Amino acid sequence: MWGALLRRGGRGAGGLRRLASSGPPWSQVVSEAEKIVGYPTSFMSLRCLLSDELSNIAMQVRKLVGTKHPLLDTARGFVYDSRNNLQMRGLVVLLISKAAGPSTAELSFQHNMVSGIYSSQRSLAEITELIHTAFLVHRGIVNIGELKSCDGPLKDMQFGNKMAVLSGDFLLANACTSLAQLQNTKVVELISSAIGDLVQGIYYENSKSSEENCLTDDIGISTWKEQVYLSHSALLAKSCQAAMELAKHSAEIQDMAFQYGRHMSMSHKLHSDLQPFIKECSSDTLSFSLNSAPVVLHQEFLGREAWIKQIREAQGKGNIMDYKKLREAIKAGKGVTSAIDLCRCHGNRALAALERFPPSEARAALANIVCAVTRFP
Amino acid sequence: STSHLCSCSKTVSDEKYQDPFQLGRKDLKNLYEDIKKELLVSTAELKEMCDYYFDGKGKAFRPMIVVLMARACNIHHNNSREVQASQRSVAIIAEMIHTASLVHDDVIDDANSRRGKMTVNQIWGERKAVLAGDFILSAASVALARIGNTTIISVLTQVIEDLVRGEFLQLGSKENENERFAHYLEKTFKKTASLIANSCKAVSILGCPDPKVHEIAYQYGKNVGIAFQLIDDVLDFTSCADHLGKPTAADLKLGLATGPVLFACRQFPEMNAMIMRRFSKPGDVERARNYVLQSDGVQQTTYLAQRYCHEASREISKLRPSPEREALIQLTEMVLTRDK
Repeated sequence: MWGALLRRGGRGAGGLRRLASSGPPWSQVVSEAEKIVGYPTSFMSLRCLLSDELSNIAMQVRKLVGTKHPLLDTARGFVYDSRNNLQMRGLVVLLISKAAGPSTAELSFQHNMVSGIYSSQRSLAEITELIHTAFLVHRGIVNIGELKSCDGPLKDMQFGNKMAVLSGDFLLANACTSLAQLQNTKVVELISSAIGDLVQGIYYENSKSSEENCLTDDIGISTWKEQVYLSHSALLAKSCQAAMELAKHSAEIQDMAFQYGRHMSMSHKLHSDLQPFIKECSSDTLSFSLNSAPVVLHQEFLGREAWIKQIREAQGKGNIMDYKKLREAIKAGKGVTSAIDLCRCHGNRALAALERFPPSEARAALANIVCAVTRFP
Repeated sequence: STSHLCSCSKTVSDEKYQDPFQLGRKDLKNLYEDIKKELLVSTAELKEMCDYYFDGKGKAFRPMIVVLMARACNIHHNNSREVQASQRSVAIIAEMIHTASLVHDDVIDDANSRRGKMTVNQIWGERKAVLAGDFILSAASVALARIGNTTIISVLTQVIEDLVRGEFLQLGSKENENERFAHYLEKTFKKTASLIANSCKAVSILGCPDPKVHEIAYQYGKNVGIAFQLIDDVLDFTSCADHLGKPTAADLKLGLATGPVLFACRQFPEMNAMIMRRFSKPGDVERARNYVLQSDGVQQTTYLAQRYCHEASREISKLRPSPEREALIQLTEMVLTRDK
């Protein structure tokens, strides 16, 4: 997830340097950002995670130990893997709120501010995280009809689904309730539409991942971008915009916040898609999605037929994909470099959007985040 | 408008409508078409899944109550004969929230059929079904926001929270008999009645500024909603599967002890053990079903439903008389006598 991938990117040198001159490691970017917003983001939505309902689920989920139900991994992620559970979206919402500051139209509400952020904006950051988490859970539903015996007993898998639907719904319902309490119809509309976007994005994701190893759809990079906008960018972009609306900032600032969220998360997705092609890793476990940006771009340059031929060559006997071989073929083409270009291009657009905000440590932190996701060795 | 509140507990109109729904039918024309327009999806398959239950074959029971309530409140307030666009939106949103929860319930319960057709999860699989439910809910929230009234947003968001909490209540069972009944009624309120109560309240807020009227609308919806679910639980024992459009004794098979079971248990204490183990042993479902049919559990539950319906008509009778008010009173009777 975000944390791990971003950290990896943080160690490299070079990359984009427009607003931030040097690149601190990722963990430093985050801990400095947390200080700026005056809030350890890992505590966000803790209230929800500690509720009776979710404790009940946690008790029940133990029954799934030994099965392959994805809910188990999602739940483990909350409890043990706090490093991967960095709540980036919430942090970005808080940073951009602080970077925009109080609007001149809303001076009367300034007493509501803590560390330069309105309480409604803090709620919004929490809502963004709740929605993101709800869909991590709902992503992990299994199709009962497609189960194999090695997945675990049918009854347990059904039970896992039941828990996953319920806990996801619970998180979503909590998000809706907090959203209603913000008392702003425009924000409710924006965030609700972001939920709809996210659902459609995950739907695309699902329909592709069901045929892993198989030949993927012949999509171009523009379709890829549309789908990634829905699955990765829309929630953050619209949350950033909504944070501006809560402080009654102008339509222009709202749009800039939206653009930052949109382009930064696009860069991030490109950056994480690029990792298997950039890192030197022990090749035994090497695997990458055939729907990742470098592969989609590679296919576009190469042409469909030549690409199919390359896949067939890498597949060999027994239909087992030789990812190492396929990776070398892709690295020989232009897919990887143009994905890096695209990543930097979105990074630049995110930085350009930031230029409309007055200089501040919050703005610098937002720029550092962009640097971390556009840096390549 | 407080003066309009009648003190009499029941005013029975001379006119009896053959079909009380006639009064609301005009408002509900194109209801399902309009719902489908709210569901803006780019993929054909996801669109088909979202539209699946909005085929016009449902009873539209909830939208009907909502528009009748809207009319009754508007007349009560200023004798207006129009339903406001925002009030009709509430009817649409209520049906959407209801449907989204059905889609998720069917995944949770691993159900195969509903309304005489296959469930969404049965056709498209659980992964996609959950997303379809989520999408319908998000579209309902967008429509809700577009009404542009933060109070209405809060009232209807309460429904979303209650639906989930009701589902959680359904997971647990209580050892103590009294607690068990209270638990059952609370679950029934959250899972069924809250939607009707709060959508009635929402249209009353939009139609009339008097908080007393909002409370009447809420109480009517709450009582009708609980009665509706009690009868639903009775039909699970008395109706045949073909007629109901879903399998019978479905609740027992899910391990749920509903009204008829809880009443039967007072006559046959040996059912206690079965309730506690959620009818999980072979033969439990059949045995429990027989106990229920031998007991007066069905009659007791029906009687309880009658009391809720009576309370509902007592509440609505506080509004100024109107054909719509009479239709709402008649509707409480139809809730009791329906057979599917």
